[in-house]
Amino acid sequence: MPDRKLMAHLVAGYPDLETSRDIALALAEGGADFLEIQFPFSDPSADGPRIERACHAALAAGFTVSSGFELAGELAGKLAIPLFIMTYASLATAKGSGDFATKAAAAGVRGIIVPDLPPDYDEGLYDAGGRAGLAVVPVVAPGISEARLDLLRRLRPEYVYTALRLGVTGRESRLDSGNREYLARIGSLGAKIVAGFGVRSSEQFLALSGQVHAVAVGTFFLDCLEKAGGKPAALIRAVAGLKGGGFR
Amino acid sequence: METARGKLGTVADYFGVFGGRFVGETLRPALDQLEEEFALAWADPVFREELDAAGKTFVGRPTPLLYAGNATRAQGGAKIYVKLEGLAQTGAHKINNAMGQALLAKRLGKKRVIAETGAGQHGLASAAACARLGLSCRVYMGSLDMARQHPNVFAMEMLGAEVIPVETGSRTLKDAINAALRDWSANYPGTHYLIGSALGPSPFPEMVRRFQSVVGEETRAQMRETGADFAALVACVGGGSNAIGFFSPFLDQPLPRLIGVEAGGRGDGPGDNAVRMAGAVSRIGVAHGYKSRFLMNGDGQLMPTHSISAGLDYPGIGPQLASLGDSGRLEFTSASDGEALDALRFFARNEGIIFALESAHAAAAALRLARELDPGRALAVNMSGRGDKDIFITAKALDRDNWLSFLESEIAHA
Repeated sequence: MPDRKLMAHLVAGYPDLETSRDIALALAEGGADFLEIQFPFSDPSADGPRIERACHAALAAGFTVSSGFELAGELAGKLAIPLFIMTYASLATAKGSGDFATKAAAAGVRGIIVPDLPPDYDEGLYDAGGRAGLAVVPVVAPGISEARLDLLRRLRPEYVYTALRLGVTGRESRLDSGNREYLARIGSLGAKIVAGFGVRSSEQFLALSGQVHAVAVGTFFLDCLEKAGGKPAALIRAVAGLKGGGFR
Repeated sequence: METARGKLGTVADYFGVFGGRFVGETLRPALDQLEEEFALAWADPVFREELDAAGKTFVGRPTPLLYAGNATRAQGGAKIYVKLEGLAQTGAHKINNAMGQALLAKRLGKKRVIAETGAGQHGLASAAACARLGLSCRVYMGSLDMARQHPNVFAMEMLGAEVIPVETGSRTLKDAINAALRDWSANYPGTHYLIGSALGPSPFPEMVRRFQSVVGEETRAQMRETGADFAALVACVGGGSNAIGFFSPFLDQPLPRLIGVEAGGRGDGPGDNAVRMAGAVSRIGVAHGYKSRFLMNGDGQLMPTHSISAGLDYPGIGPQLASLGDSGRLEFTSASDGEALDALRFFARNEGIIFALESAHAAAAALRLARELDPGRALAVNMSGRGDKDIFITAKALDRDNWLSFLESEIAHA
């Protein structure tokens, strides 16, 4: 039975830098196995409206890339779990991908996730990440061609990230045969699969976590935070509940 | 390009260092398919005949090249010619691309088209092309732009399109692009994204240039018929589809001068204009799927822009224009909100033509340039759109009191 691992997502600087640090610490205390720290971009076209609003709020509150690296560095010093920075090409290339990778590595993160820098249009990110000892995590999606899987295979990625839409039947979350077949295809990369499914209950988490290395959860925590009146401590129970069966 | 169905011409991906296909894997299959299908369509005489026929019978091609003799005499200097692209169906060059891509969508068997729009001109053109071809059409539009451009919203809906307000970010064009990209990621197997300018991930910049190149090809032939000695061509540049189409046949030769005109807005300060090339403040970056020059801060965050014309109010510029600017083949200048309004009035009084506010920026720069040139020379300016759509902006700016009384009386009698 594989471990039930959770990658918890947060937006750096949302609602402000201090609180986002407390959110990260609460997610870790609750039992998150990885943290995905999103550096907010003004035009996050791969995110849904919920996360986009959080990104705009973080920018309005004064987020800068250097404050993001400081936050990541502070968290890496305090936490034993691996941290990942997720962002967009614009931020990752603004001062050159080498600069971004070097600073991420210096902050102590394990890897970086940039969905709009695929391996053949990466502005040097994969090489720079490799030199800096970072895992550059490709983002894949259903419908990916065999030719593109071959391209990824040559990179020998340690992790691969994917989003999936679930065939949800009633209250039971199961992977339909199409999704199972897709996971088997990307499993052939030999990388640890991190998958986002839009998980909102522990039932879903428990059903899905056995299928992949880690389940990524993001929007759910933004909702928990809102329900708790913005108090980060509520996320300790939210994570523990998700992993332990408390949220149905 | 080698495909199962034969060897085809390639569709440009990079222009110098600019361009590319910077998208996540969710969109990759859609773009790979589009590149192949566009190359096949472009090489297919049946498709090209269909496109030409639509141009002649629906779009209104060819559009005239007018000798603006009164304007020339009124100000002195080089002869001014105006390409009246604003006479095209739906009032602007946008229909050339919209019709081309809608025909391509139909060929691809896609029944649903999505589009982004700023001022509403591209949305209007897309709605018209889709209505004509029996495709369903959804247009994403920033809610701020919807409030500013209500007549176009009404017209799009009359043409059967569904207009979706985008409430995120600055609630303008760039946010509408994000919303359209999101929709396309989820729905590409049955949906075509009809992008409105020569930008975005490849193959869009090259595809849009080819659909707009008809403007330049016609102009070149019409210029020859005049017998005049053309020193320069002038076009406004937002994303740049009218400019790249107008300039297209002249790119591989050193002359005439090709001049792009950006929105100088209300001043030089950050957020007061949309000058990417003529100033020194833009940065090379990657956003909206392509690499180009953008108005962004040092972190890579896109910056707010301003122009009196919604169509020039965008922080990026098409990759081929950025490359041609850096190589020196294109020159860039800007015109302010006020200069654009002055040029609008000047051509209305002297020639009986009403420029769209976007195109009026080119008209303003053309007037400046004509004064500097020898009277024996000539220049051509692209009136990429006509100004009917701008009445709510221009009337407020030029004739405020009468306009407000009209609006009040409309409300009183509604």
